[in-house]
Amino acid sequence: MLFSQLIQKLIQDTTEKSLPLFSVELCLCVTIVLMLLVRLLGADRLLPACVVAVIGAASALACSWMQYRELYGAPEPVSTTFFTGMLIHDSFTVYFRAFLSLFLLLTVALTSLTGIPDEEDSPDFYSLLFGATIGMMMMASSNSLLMLFLSVEMASVPSYAMVGFLKGRKASSEAALKYVVYGAGAAGVMLYGISLLAGVLGTADMGMLSERLAAAAAGGSGGLGDPEIRTASLGILLIMVGLAFKLSLVPFHFWCPDAFEGASAEVAGFLSIASKAGAFGLLVRLCVALSGAEGTGPLMTAFGCGLGFVACLTMTLGNLAAYGQTNLKRMLAYSTIAHAGYMVMAVSAMLVMSSSAAGAASAAEVTRSMEGLLYYLFVYMFMNLGAFAVIALVRNYTFGETLDDVRGLISQSPTLCVVMLICMFSLVGLPPFGGFIGKFFIFASTLKSAETEPFMYVVLVCGGLNTVFSLFYYIRVLRVMFLEARPADARPVPLPFASWESAFTLTLAAFVLLLGVAPYVMSTTANTAAQSLAFFN
Amino acid sequence: MVGETLRNLLLIAWLLPLCGFAVEIFGGFWGSRRSRVAAWLAVGCIATGFVCSASALTIWGNANGWSVLHHAEHHADETAADGHVAHDSVTPPAPETLAAADAHADAAAKPAAEPDAQKPQDSSAAATTAHNDSADHDHQHTAASPAARTVYSGTFYRLATFGSLELSLDYYIDSLTLVMFTMVTFIATCIHLFAIGYMSEELTEEYVDHHAHLRNGHHVHRPGRFYRFFAFLSLFCFSMLGLVLAGNIFQVFIFWELVGICSFLLIGFYTERKSASTAANKAFIMNRVGDFGFLIGLMVVWTYFGTFKFADTVDVDGHVVQAGLFHMLPRAADGNVIINPENGEVQIGAAAANPGNTHKTIPYYLLVVAGLGVFAGCIGKSAQFPLQTWLPDAMEGPTPVSALVHSATMVAAGVYLTGRFYPMFVQEVLLTIAYIGCITAFVAATIAIVATDIKKVLAYSTISQLGYMMLGLGVFGWGAGLFHLVTHAFFKSLMFLCSGSVIYGCHHEQEMPKMGGLWRKMPITAFTMLVGVMAIAGLAVPGLVGPGFGQLFAFSGFHSKDAVVATALAYVQANPAHFLLFILPLITAGITAFYMFRLWFYTFAGTPRDHHVYDHCHESPLIMTGPLLVLSVLAAYCAWGGEQGSLYLLITGDQPAYVSHGIPAVAGALTMPGHDAVHAVHHQAGTYALIAAFSGTFLAWLLYGSGKVDVAEIKRQLGGVHGFLANKWHFDELYDALFMRPTHVVGRFCASIDRLIFDAILHGSAAATVLVAKWDRAFDEKVVDGLVNLLGNATWSAGNSLKVLQTGRLRQYVMFIVAGVVALFGVLLATFPR
Repeated sequence: MLFSQLIQKLIQDTTEKSLPLFSVELCLCVTIVLMLLVRLLGADRLLPACVVAVIGAASALACSWMQYRELYGAPEPVSTTFFTGMLIHDSFTVYFRAFLSLFLLLTVALTSLTGIPDEEDSPDFYSLLFGATIGMMMMASSNSLLMLFLSVEMASVPSYAMVGFLKGRKASSEAALKYVVYGAGAAGVMLYGISLLAGVLGTADMGMLSERLAAAAAGGSGGLGDPEIRTASLGILLIMVGLAFKLSLVPFHFWCPDAFEGASAEVAGFLSIASKAGAFGLLVRLCVALSGAEGTGPLMTAFGCGLGFVACLTMTLGNLAAYGQTNLKRMLAYSTIAHAGYMVMAVSAMLVMSSSAAGAASAAEVTRSMEGLLYYLFVYMFMNLGAFAVIALVRNYTFGETLDDVRGLISQSPTLCVVMLICMFSLVGLPPFGGFIGKFFIFASTLKSAETEPFMYVVLVCGGLNTVFSLFYYIRVLRVMFLEARPADARPVPLPFASWESAFTLTLAAFVLLLGVAPYVMSTTANTAAQSLAFFN
Repeated sequence: MVGETLRNLLLIAWLLPLCGFAVEIFGGFWGSRRSRVAAWLAVGCIATGFVCSASALTIWGNANGWSVLHHAEHHADETAADGHVAHDSVTPPAPETLAAADAHADAAAKPAAEPDAQKPQDSSAAATTAHNDSADHDHQHTAASPAARTVYSGTFYRLATFGSLELSLDYYIDSLTLVMFTMVTFIATCIHLFAIGYMSEELTEEYVDHHAHLRNGHHVHRPGRFYRFFAFLSLFCFSMLGLVLAGNIFQVFIFWELVGICSFLLIGFYTERKSASTAANKAFIMNRVGDFGFLIGLMVVWTYFGTFKFADTVDVDGHVVQAGLFHMLPRAADGNVIINPENGEVQIGAAAANPGNTHKTIPYYLLVVAGLGVFAGCIGKSAQFPLQTWLPDAMEGPTPVSALVHSATMVAAGVYLTGRFYPMFVQEVLLTIAYIGCITAFVAATIAIVATDIKKVLAYSTISQLGYMMLGLGVFGWGAGLFHLVTHAFFKSLMFLCSGSVIYGCHHEQEMPKMGGLWRKMPITAFTMLVGVMAIAGLAVPGLVGPGFGQLFAFSGFHSKDAVVATALAYVQANPAHFLLFILPLITAGITAFYMFRLWFYTFAGTPRDHHVYDHCHESPLIMTGPLLVLSVLAAYCAWGGEQGSLYLLITGDQPAYVSHGIPAVAGALTMPGHDAVHAVHHQAGTYALIAAFSGTFLAWLLYGSGKVDVAEIKRQLGGVHGFLANKWHFDELYDALFMRPTHVVGRFCASIDRLIFDAILHGSAAATVLVAKWDRAFDEKVVDGLVNLLGNATWSAGNSLKVLQTGRLRQYVMFIVAGVVALFGVLLATFPR
């Protein structure tokens, strides 16, 4: 094949196949360019950046909706690789695209309500936000170890800048610095892992990983006695450590409370949800790529149990450490850590079930565990963003984000209090709120996986206990808000009921409630997305 | 057309008081306590009602050409000629179906010579066809009789339908209904007017009730309740008129109870007085005893006859859809109920026109039960023996109430219902009615002799006279009993109003021994009272009583009592075993004259016994004496003409078919006297009654009027009898011993069972629960809470200790990455299979 032909084919593949499938990300790219152009042309008075951002996010959501419609009509789950096999397009990808677009829309709305980037800075801020989101979308759709690293970095680098966006605040800069250094360390570890894995298995294409791993295992004992497997395992472990940093799993969570405390509540909310979502998409992609082949079952089960173990550590530490916190953002940071633990339970269950000897018989169960994860993520978006939104709105009046700022808030702003109550109850996992349904899905699939691997019972019990633990610190906040008197010297929070802020938070709360009472609204969609992962292909 | 007009007029007369009630009770509550508006509204309602009723009576009479009166004259002529018996018995029995009715109508047309004489037997047939104007029209032509239609019935409103049971508001309009309507509305109007004067003391913001005491000995002070009195009176009028207009027995029951509740409200009008509230309760409860029997009767009627309606239900074509009660009991040509000799059951008539009913026969004894049951209701309502004791106590209500409710109308409802339901009563039931009436009349009259409270005398007199009415009905004097009902209503309401005038004038003094010589102070009251007394005593001037102006010397009571006594005598002659049914009423007639004149002499004649009362008493204002004068005229002459007079003929215009010619005895049963038999002994009975009345009057004059006899001495000599009578024959004590005490014993027994057994179980279980709860609480506090607190403290301290890890030092953080990776790989190496 001639080089020119190769180029020809590449151009043809890119323009005719890849770019249309990449339309959502392209929308976001165009938005970034537009925002910068608008400011360059001096038209930002006529067309504020947030308006452009809203339009861009909305059109991205529309594009992903159309992609979803296209895939939904297909009888079989469709899976297409594009950009020469670097990225993969299936309903899982589209789910994350839609999810992230919607979240982007909500975040832009929130930031324009709270006004955290002022007019001068907003094109910069939104560019960073959109850039990070593109990275996260690519995380969920990456089909190559190379893309894995690139997408993680693409998501991380704008995040560092956003954490430090509150210029002139020492805490903000310090948090950004910690985040950057920690992230660099984690990236190094991950890159090392990638090089090990790709070196041992001879490929970076994730679609081929499991075959190669099985081939490697077939040559030797299939255990750690075999040097190839040992090296590959170390590689996998190191990649997972890199992802654990993004997911803020224990013991790679140290950046999280500091970064959240330093960053503004809006950024913290964005990081706690979008960043997690992307990382989960990537983790699931990696696990699916590694598992399923003949002979690697024990190895992958061991990794599944390891994830379960980490989940236990994460939940417990996250919840316990949240106890004594007086800064609400910091408390929610630990809460985020704990919730990442719950969600990792689902991945661990998926890995255990898909690696078990029972195999295909439990394909539906595996799909269900992923459905649980996706549903939980969707609920988590509303409830966590709701909590952060309340904190951000209160901060705008009191200039503080501690427990004292919300003390006795019920007497001044009942709307915020009720929204907080719904979000917190949902975070605890109490019916009839969405968090209960999500937790129920995850716990149910963990229970199912425990039939093949008894260790999962420990994980399940740990998860149950942690739900009880978490009750205490969430309730503490509510008690302070509802039952205690507003201190005389506290700044008032005169948020009227008829305002965009109230409407925004109430909408979030309404979705939390809706997902709790009518789970089928979202669970079928989540199930469709999970099915496209094509386990046991 | 006439039917609709009558219906609408009576509907207005019936419903106006209800509207009045609604307006008065709310308007009065929010209005001024000093306003007389409520009273004038009530008067307006009831007076309009009277105008409507009177118009209805006139229209009704004109529609049938006053055939009732003409017929009666004709009939009376025949009776006088002593040759009238024959054709009554040759006419066929009352038909059950419309077809039979038509056939009968044809048959009735043939003996054209005496179409009017045919009429009483034909009234049921007339009722059958009465609902349809065209049918009625044909009937008029074929029968060539202007008097074909006198009964109108139909349905106002259907309340509910349960299976085949239909509960509806019906109307049944015949001559009796119209007379009762006119009488009730007229008397009520008079009494309303009188009450405006009598109740004027209530026109105040703060009324001091001198008969009600608080615990600290002070009198009760309360706002005046003038408006409420008239609201209750209006409600009462509505109920009473509804009862009279009712077209089915269940509707009668509804208004029966409404009348009862009005009576309760009015007796207990001075509710702060203990005696008044007790009397209200007593009246209500004693009536419930009777109503229990009424309900049993209703159940029997419903079970076997399948309908409550008096008259037939017809559709637009004039076909009978549902036969009425009055046409279901088949009677032979001689008036006896036809009994199947084999099983003692009675065929229920009009079966073909009665599709909803599964029963085709009814056992004879159940007919008796049904009759006695309904009569039990009448006993309670009309205060007959043995439920008579509530009526004297009911005098606790204001005097206008006593006049309207407890003499003229409500208590008469029992008599009215007995008359209305007459076709359903068999001979045994009638005999019971007669004896009950006879005993009541005698017992009450004897008690009235010794009563000293002016209203109590009249109350016992009322009971006695009601007994007379029942007796009259029981001895087959349908007309006589109801005749006495109407005349009594006039003169008794007059006398009660007079007594009210006396009480008002004497500042609420009711004891006759403290009065005397009052005619000088209140001449109008005294004169009108004398008229009433003479009327009730049944006085007349012998030899001068005759047609035309001779009637001036015979008051209404003379005629009606004469009719009752004559019927009783005819009955006793036919059935000698029941001679008491004539002897006792005759004696009672004498006693009646005695105690009534005693009352008059005691109160109005002689010299004043209590100068304090005498000096302060005064004649009542015009608004009170006016009604007295009007009523006195009617009390004296409403029965003008006696049994040939228009009142009697109007009442008996639609009497049950078989009444006039009597019922001959069958197989040892009773013989019921016909009009001819009664007429034969009329002069004889009248003479006896007049002698009794004059002797009673003379005795009363001797003892109380002449002043020549020491009454106290006689009272002392007859101490035993006097005490017995003064204690009302010990009825209250008897009931106390018979019913109250056993009830109390049973109640105490039940209470002790409750207390000793059930309460003990409950308390025991409660104590056990408390014990368990204490243990539970201790367990909770010590063990469960301890564990939870331990867990909470442990996690809290663990969480706080975790803070130490988060040092905030970047260098350490990066170190932790390395340490974490190494540790995890160690775990992997340790756990993973080789």
